[in-house]
Amino acid sequence: MNNPLTNIVQDWIQPLSNVIDFGCGDGSLLQELREHKQTIGYGIEIDPEGIVSCLKKNIPVIEKNIDDGIDEFSECSFDVAIMASSIQCLKEPNVALDKILNLSDKCIVTIPNLGYWRCRLALLLGRMPVTPSLPSSWYGTENIHLCTIKDFEDLCIKEGFIIEDSVHLNKERSKSGFAAIAPNLLSSEGVYLLARK
Amino acid sequence: MKSHRELHTFSSGIILESGEALSSFDLMVDTYGELNSNKSNAILVCHAFSGSHHAAGKNDDGKSGWWDELIGPNKAIDTNKFFIVSPNNLGSCFGSTGPISICPETNELYGKSFPAITVLDWVNSQEMLLSKLEITSWACVLGGSLGGMQALQWAITFPEKIKRAGVIAAAAKASSQNIALNEVSRESIRKDINFHGGDYLKNNTFPKSGLKAARMLAHITYLSEENMDKRFGRKIQDIESRVDELVDYEVENYLQYKGEKFSQVFDANTYILMTRAMDDFDPAKNFNNELKAALKKVTAKLLIVGFKSDWLFPPERGKEIQLAAMQSGVSSSYLELDGQQGHDSFLFSNERYQKNIEAFLSS
Repeated sequence: MNNPLTNIVQDWIQPLSNVIDFGCGDGSLLQELREHKQTIGYGIEIDPEGIVSCLKKNIPVIEKNIDDGIDEFSECSFDVAIMASSIQCLKEPNVALDKILNLSDKCIVTIPNLGYWRCRLALLLGRMPVTPSLPSSWYGTENIHLCTIKDFEDLCIKEGFIIEDSVHLNKERSKSGFAAIAPNLLSSEGVYLLARK
Repeated sequence: MKSHRELHTFSSGIILESGEALSSFDLMVDTYGELNSNKSNAILVCHAFSGSHHAAGKNDDGKSGWWDELIGPNKAIDTNKFFIVSPNNLGSCFGSTGPISICPETNELYGKSFPAITVLDWVNSQEMLLSKLEITSWACVLGGSLGGMQALQWAITFPEKIKRAGVIAAAAKASSQNIALNEVSRESIRKDINFHGGDYLKNNTFPKSGLKAARMLAHITYLSEENMDKRFGRKIQDIESRVDELVDYEVENYLQYKGEKFSQVFDANTYILMTRAMDDFDPAKNFNNELKAALKKVTAKLLIVGFKSDWLFPPERGKEIQLAAMQSGVSSSYLELDGQQGHDSFLFSNERYQKNIEAFLSS
């Protein structure tokens, strides 16, 4: 089990759900969900190696750059959409979330937290933060819309997304009760279960 | 690679989609590799409109099969693992019953009287071949272009007899532009003075120049602009090696050469029949024009492949199939490859193409 989200996400997904994973990587999360929750899952991926891995695992996968828009899926319908570690890479993350919640009842989204104390400290010391949740150097990162936990939760209120559940992760990207005390300062990453009002 | 060529006769005949019947027909069939003991490794490959049963390996004349880059030991469609069945389509002119065959009722050449053939007719005849080979189901049906249309039709018509379908560089129906281009080809054949309304063989002649012009036009649609520019640019043809004194540019010489070669081996009535089959393909037509309804009963896993430089059946056409399949709850993947050779890209292997086909067949 190499995907830290597997355990968290499983609790939020009903058996036999219809799942779409935007940025599914090698398909391991969808594979775990298929094994444990008998889900029917589709992956969207742009990385050629990820696509081959999905096909090998018998995970249906669509080669696509999510940044080109997801309008083509508007007539599809899913129980849960997963958007792990890629929302901050999109041109218009708020629009993307809105569209996802049009085609899926629920959306699981992860947000690397720029408000994490290690990030704040790095900036205080005059450096761009590099953490397990934000692993790339400033010139190598694909992230163009970084935010803090507070910023993200504000956006949810503004856009009318209900936060049905959330989990906050520590530096090792595992669920942490400590991080949940003051997530904007103590968590490296937030994982949210969103629905529409 | 173990290979075998055999003419299979189906003396029970076939009733065609048009309502017409053939009282008996033959299919020329190549096989590559070996059928395993539980008969679970059979793959049907379907050829595009000018193809033949000769998909892999070299013929006696040294010519390679049309999908030799993909079929063979350790290739994308690995003959060490799979038993590949490659028939020449009904209505074609490479050994299977078609316009240049003798009609058993009249003892004359079919010629223009050969009935219209559809993609569904091919699939039905291939299903008879499956039974004759005593195989329960295909591990996969694969094809490019018109061959991809057959793979899609297979998944729709015989869901219990196909585990996977590879629909490559194809579309769920021909576009208006596709039909228009085919019509120009047909027109050039029909207006050849030697066509005789399709009865050219009875008149001991052949509409060679019409067929050649048809192929020259069609060949352009198989290439990409970028690829043609790279290969020929505006280079002037060397006078010594030109095939015709009318030729100025290298690209003209190439098309003349290709058209000439094609017109020596292909039949004009077959050309018309094959292009009609492509034009008429539209599995959604019986489902209120909703492709997703047509795909509802599909149980095969689908892999749809499009090529970026293909403008005959561009990637969008493949995406449409995948999307409709997804909406119908059919397990389906979509792959978009970089192939530079336009529509013909499906014929040429590259690392990504091979890896993904292998992965799909192994899953």
